[in-house]
Amino acid sequence: MMHGSLCIWQRDMRVLQRNISSEAATVMAFPLTFFLTFGLGLKGYIQDIDGISYALFVVPGLISMTAILGAFDDGSWGMWFHRVVQKTIEEYRVNPITVTDIIVGKIISGFTSGFLKGLSVGVCLLLLTGFQFNPLFLLAYLLFIFLGCIVFSCLGSLAGTLIDKPENLGRLEAVVVMPFIFLAGLFFPLSTYPDSVLPYIKALPTTALFDGARLALLTGKIDPVYLAELLLSAAISFILAVRFFEKKMHA
Amino acid sequence: MNRPNPLILPMPNEIEISHVTKAYGKLVAVKDFSLSVAGGTVFGLLGPNGAGKTTLVSILTTLLKPTSGAASVGGHDVVRDGAKIRSLIGVVPQENNLDRYLTARENLVLHAKMHRMSPSDYNRRIDALLSLLNLADRQKDFPPKLSGGMQRRLVVARALVHDPQILFLDEPTTGLDPQAKRLIWDYFLSLKGKRTLFLTTHHMEEADFLCDQIIIIDNGSTIASGTAAQLKDMAESSWFYEIEVHSRAEEYLRIFQRLPFIDCSSLQDGQIEVCLKKEGSLGALVEQINPRDLKRISSRQPSLEDVFLKLTGRRLRQ
Repeated sequence: MMHGSLCIWQRDMRVLQRNISSEAATVMAFPLTFFLTFGLGLKGYIQDIDGISYALFVVPGLISMTAILGAFDDGSWGMWFHRVVQKTIEEYRVNPITVTDIIVGKIISGFTSGFLKGLSVGVCLLLLTGFQFNPLFLLAYLLFIFLGCIVFSCLGSLAGTLIDKPENLGRLEAVVVMPFIFLAGLFFPLSTYPDSVLPYIKALPTTALFDGARLALLTGKIDPVYLAELLLSAAISFILAVRFFEKKMHA
Repeated sequence: MNRPNPLILPMPNEIEISHVTKAYGKLVAVKDFSLSVAGGTVFGLLGPNGAGKTTLVSILTTLLKPTSGAASVGGHDVVRDGAKIRSLIGVVPQENNLDRYLTARENLVLHAKMHRMSPSDYNRRIDALLSLLNLADRQKDFPPKLSGGMQRRLVVARALVHDPQILFLDEPTTGLDPQAKRLIWDYFLSLKGKRTLFLTTHHMEEADFLCDQIIIIDNGSTIASGTAAQLKDMAESSWFYEIEVHSRAEEYLRIFQRLPFIDCSSLQDGQIEVCLKKEGSLGALVEQINPRDLKRISSRQPSLEDVFLKLTGRRLRQ
């Protein structure tokens, strides 16, 4: 057990390493555009939020967004491509490894890819802005990113397992994942939501990630409810991803 | 109930299928299928596309579970002991499912690692296989840069990396040029007596050349079984002729199909192939053809293709 996961993860990291320059350009473009537009372009028009400059307010969210989108994309498109287009999942399955090895390997790959992408964008944004953070706060922040990447790698792998048409995979990202990210207070404080809506927004795993991670990075506080929500989301999404993949493979 | 008799062979059986049925909803891909394959032999499953060959291979390689019945490979049950079976087998699938983001060599290394081979073992083995299959100078290339034939050879090499005890070959030489095909056939022949090969094909020549035992399958059921010679004997009671006409080949085919003494007939590359029920019917057949249209008529020995045509009334590639 897990030997197969390691083989698949090593394969995925080899491919990631080989494509590092093209991956880096793609990964940087999206959050940097957002930062230039909202963090710098609009900062003169937006007042500080709870005493924090708007540029500083959006940076943690942009890093989190890059990380979880990286994990989701790698999980979903990676699984879909290997299953439907390249059919390498079938090749893996005639080797002495288990179906669970395969899905766990793909989840770990998605997680690693997302986490590395988040880190690289984080380093870039921090260098660009010159913001300095307490190293302990940074560790707390990384804990949230870590869990967020697990959740979204699992959800991506689940989507790549269940969805056969690539256009539907694209739609899922556009219609579900992106709105969940934007609703979670990436560009504005949650206090702007009406009281009647706020509990629902706070129940989203993306809110636990974005608001919890920002809180951790800027104040060093780890909100236990957010942390528990993310841990629960990670556990549920992992179980769902593994179960549905096993079911699909043994159908 | 009429069930096909399993082939009886003197050596211990490596592959056993007992009354296996596989259904996808209402579609039954394999119906109550049984067979036994002795160790060290080359077994051929012959049939047209959609006959159920790949479904059977998928069941034996643990990719699919049978709806009913039992199957074992190397003495292990396909449903309960999947991992044990997968450590014994090598698989050449119908499609070239190579990893296009890994080089040719890396594809083989990944496979070897999954079989827990040590680098010293797999590097030696991979070098030998790449050399054997004339891929040594292309080992750093990615699959999309290789020709279709090279990709196919790489898939064969991948299945052989861990020196499997049992090889499943699902139309292994599709897309290969005659030279490469012969190279692979010779290698498979060299494994006879040492490894068990389970081959599916719709190439008669391939089955004839390689297989010790053959089952002809159609619509998920066995329609004939035996050695290539035994199967050809089944067609011996018919007389096979090839007729070439200057024009109106399709029209003549329709005319022949209405004649009572015609057992089977088909049009192949503009040439009409017929088998007669009785030897003396040739004169009556020729009478149907306008002498000005007739270009050539010749008799020939029956092939496995003829056996299939005689049994089903269809050609394998129809």
